[in-house]
Amino acid sequence: MGVEALREPRPPGFVARLGAGVLGVLQVLGEASRLFVAALGTSAHAAATPDRARVTAQLVRVGTDTLPIGALLSLFVGMVLVVQSADQLREVNESVLGPIVGLAMTKELGPVMMAFLLAGRAGSAMAAELGSMTVYDEVSALRTMDIDPVRFLVMPRFLAATLALPMLVLYSDFIGVAGGAAVVAVDPAIRLSVNEYFARMLEWVHFGDVILGLVKGVVFGMIASVVPCAFGLRTRGGTEGIARSTTAAVVWSFILILLFDFLIVRASFAG
Amino acid sequence: MATAAQTRHGVAVELTALRKSYDGHAVLRGVDLVVTPGELLAIVGQSGTGKSVLLRQIIGLECPDAGRIAVGGIELARWLAVPPEEKPFRIAMVFQSAALLASLSVAENVALRLREHGRRTAAEIADTVARVLEQVELAGTERKHPSELSGGMRKRVAIARALAVSPELILYDEPTADLDPILTEQIGTLIRRIRTDRGNTQIIVTHNLPLARAIADRIAVLDAGRIVECSTPAELGRSRHPLVREFLRAAALGHEEHPC
Repeated sequence: MGVEALREPRPPGFVARLGAGVLGVLQVLGEASRLFVAALGTSAHAAATPDRARVTAQLVRVGTDTLPIGALLSLFVGMVLVVQSADQLREVNESVLGPIVGLAMTKELGPVMMAFLLAGRAGSAMAAELGSMTVYDEVSALRTMDIDPVRFLVMPRFLAATLALPMLVLYSDFIGVAGGAAVVAVDPAIRLSVNEYFARMLEWVHFGDVILGLVKGVVFGMIASVVPCAFGLRTRGGTEGIARSTTAAVVWSFILILLFDFLIVRASFAG
Repeated sequence: MATAAQTRHGVAVELTALRKSYDGHAVLRGVDLVVTPGELLAIVGQSGTGKSVLLRQIIGLECPDAGRIAVGGIELARWLAVPPEEKPFRIAMVFQSAALLASLSVAENVALRLREHGRRTAAEIADTVARVLEQVELAGTERKHPSELSGGMRKRVAIARALAVSPELILYDEPTADLDPILTEQIGTLIRRIRTDRGNTQIIVTHNLPLARAIADRIAVLDAGRIVECSTPAELGRSRHPLVREFLRAAALGHEEHPC
């Protein structure tokens, strides 16, 4: 019996599993932070001819991946916001519909929705592509050719997402606000003119609110590219490993986007 | 000037007491090996004996836990630290999976290192690409993408990519894995021809003993993380080492079952 106990390894206990989980989280954060610094460092080369072409290609890719579905999402969210809020405000004051949609879209919904969309579509593609390149030795091949994988693969994706996301936030803001206006215009139950909807919105939504949304866009763009790239480059274990990395990249991007959303909002109120 | 460690086209490779472990599991347990400039050396061994790990150490993709690697008379760590444009010689590697970048065309794959680091004009790069593709008998495939090529063609593009930088040392990791006997023979002939034409040092990792005996100047047998035999193909046939005998017996059996 004593010999059997020696042969059979005991399954790790709760504390061991918790410790391994914490170490795993710290490792992911450490790798993502290191990659962020490396990508930032290589961004100085972005103006060079081959790098510029790669950044442009990634910008086009991120844009084409996100624009159509981003428009659809923003339109419906803007419309739903008006319908839901109008129902609550019918007996109080429907004139605040414009500010509600404007502030919600510019400060919160536009940045977070577009960041989730970018992380879910372009980010997952980045993780899968880099994961596949890692597993099938393409990244190693780059290293043997003295080509820095961070500069060649990560930096263009990092810059493209960081530049594209603020633009996508503005795009989402406009379409969301327009969607709300469309409902105001056609819904007979809402006793508010489109002119009043926009006039009240302009009274309440300030330039600083738009800037806050754009700052979030920049930060979320960094997260939605660096995290998937980090997961892609740490992929091991063939096709199954690629699938695991892709899923983990999206989940981690979402978590970090929400965490940084809170931190930015908290910081914006601290002043 | 050519030295003992370096000829005009080839460099010597010297491995001394090389050790590498993963998670406490020793893969290389003290590898000693000398490859002379211009030599074509095959490393054979069973799957999982550390052949590919050895190649990854020689090109600097992984660091050994202990031991010394010198290429062309220079410590590998020193060579790796030299900027790409100033390296005294070049090392290229052909991976088992070919490792071509799927998003790039054949020509772009072959030209990659030249475009990223070289000081050549676009016309010069195009000339080089055409020349090396001709050499591997793939002229006319410049615009194709790796997904449009067969396994054998992808391997030859990978060899062309290696040749494009005129390396003094080429490392091949299982260059004929997953290929049928005819394609295996074609790749073997190509590697032998590269050696004759260019005289660069080549190290091939394979478990295909007939291929190794057909093309290599010497064959090193890796077993349990050590080189247990290193001799010419003729000498290897007379070896009394049990693993070598087993390899020869299995290779002869395979040859009888699948004569090409």
